[in-house]
Amino acid sequence: MIKTVKDIEDMTKSELLEHLNDTVKPEVGEIPAYVLADPKVYDLEHKKVFMKTWIFIGHESEIPNKNDYMLRDLAGYSIIVSRNPDSSIKAFYNMCTHRGMKLCRADKGNKSAFVCPYHGFNFKNNGDLIGVPLQKNIYGEELDKSTMGLTEVRIESYKGLLFGTWNDEAESLDDFLGDFKWYLDILVGRAEMEVLGAPQRFVIHSNWKIGADNFVGDSYHTMVTHGSIAKLGMVPSATYSKMGYQIHSENGHGLNLGTPNPDFAFPEELIEEYKSNLSSEQFEVLSNLKNMIGNIFPHLSFLISHTKVKGQLISNTTVRLWRPIDHDKMEVIAWFLVEKNAPEDWKRRSRESFVLTFSPSGIFEQDDTEVFTDITAAAKGPMPVMKNLTYNYTMGLHRKPVDFIGPGVAYDDKFSEANQRNFYKYWLELMNS
Amino acid sequence: MSMEKMLANYEFEQWLYKEAQLLDDIDFDGWFSLMHQDLKYQMPVRINKEGTERPDYTTDMFCFDDDIDLLKLRVDRLKTDYAWAEIPPSRTRRFVSNVKLDDYKEGEFASVNSYLLLYRSRSTDIHHDIISGERRDEFKFENGKWKLSKRVFIVDQTTINTRNLAIFI
Repeated sequence: MIKTVKDIEDMTKSELLEHLNDTVKPEVGEIPAYVLADPKVYDLEHKKVFMKTWIFIGHESEIPNKNDYMLRDLAGYSIIVSRNPDSSIKAFYNMCTHRGMKLCRADKGNKSAFVCPYHGFNFKNNGDLIGVPLQKNIYGEELDKSTMGLTEVRIESYKGLLFGTWNDEAESLDDFLGDFKWYLDILVGRAEMEVLGAPQRFVIHSNWKIGADNFVGDSYHTMVTHGSIAKLGMVPSATYSKMGYQIHSENGHGLNLGTPNPDFAFPEELIEEYKSNLSSEQFEVLSNLKNMIGNIFPHLSFLISHTKVKGQLISNTTVRLWRPIDHDKMEVIAWFLVEKNAPEDWKRRSRESFVLTFSPSGIFEQDDTEVFTDITAAAKGPMPVMKNLTYNYTMGLHRKPVDFIGPGVAYDDKFSEANQRNFYKYWLELMNS
Repeated sequence: MSMEKMLANYEFEQWLYKEAQLLDDIDFDGWFSLMHQDLKYQMPVRINKEGTERPDYTTDMFCFDDDIDLLKLRVDRLKTDYAWAEIPPSRTRRFVSNVKLDDYKEGEFASVNSYLLLYRSRSTDIHHDIISGERRDEFKFENGKWKLSKRVFIVDQTTINTRNLAIFI
């Protein structure tokens, strides 16, 4: 039984941690409601999860040219991600080292140096302080500019996906992604991919974990939440969402792989490019792919979706961040990716299907947002803690993994909550770190 | 301004008011009947630029990018019993102002700019959302009626502060 529960507001950090360890029980399929809406859990999460792991900051193709830059958020801190004259990509905290003013306020642009609007300190895009107004006159020889470079952010990339972390001790991105890279190759390594247009951004009054949970393994909801899509004939039937595999790997990553598909979901012109980038096993998965939906821990979700738009089959590939703004609020940032060498008409139709299905106006997306908002509202305040309200995550608990052509732990249809249990297992591990 | 253009300006004001009412009354079929077969219905993504360079919206990514068939699909979908985002429907109020007729050829073609302030409230939620922006509309005259043939909605936010666009702009 649960010990008499204090209000979380009155708990010390160690009491909160103890309470989390008592109540978050992914191994038996039980997750308490309060973790989705408690401000103290959110604060701890920020320190233990978002300040510790790799966080997605964008795609390399968003800054293709020398001196291109983009402004991104890394765990609540604004960073400038910039392509240097030597084509390497570097990232810096968007803060002048003299008095702390933000150096840059545009979403993106092309600049080799950033001038602070406060006192005019001038920083090259490799982080070096290169100019101080009236330096000789004011400081004489006393100012050592070499100690005043911008704070560099540790970044690494995998197949064009850029990640950053504030944690100098974090394992390499390669190790963090581990076995999951096999599937990311299919997502973004199958061909040369590029981000088209600016990312879509909108705010939902929802905890970020609901989005991650939804994408990491919840194909069960599609029959009902997205029932309208089957009614309109955009997908074969309401139960199509069960067919395929659910797969997870270490570090909380997971995906659902929809298969088989009688049609090839990608531009056929690029089959040779796919074959040259993928192993034969990966290409086999790609050839039979109906959809692929998953989450890179903690909050980068991705999707390949193959639907019928205006009577014609088309797929789109997207990644999206559930960027936390507060315990009950997140910004969704969604990027559209497409094969650089795809025919122009294919690119246009793929974008059209993304806007129709998974943009803020997307006819899949919008029904999810309604659910996310209401779940968050219902989890708030002291009552769910007092009454120990929990969610049931037992689906597929006693099923045995099957052999699968790719790595990770795989189950032979998508209706399981093993991925969500794996997500929360790693989340709890980090909260204890 | 010529009398002819003044009257035409008034006519389009009334058209936009009627459109607002149909949408606010959730008469989507009635609203859809105002659309022309050639419709382009777009809402570009707004972006933060460094200075005053324009446009400050993308020309290659949209929140809406519909033709008549896709708009029809959205309207039909709202009539299935599974369009949860609008069950129950949002209470909306569209305030249309600053209506300005630009190009005009009587009985043929018109382009009209206007401002839109859209209030949205859902269920028992005490929050409300406000969407503000500019509509750049084009009309074609067909069977004695003006039909909307193009709408580009320039929204005044880079991060849209409403949970979804299950409503029309």
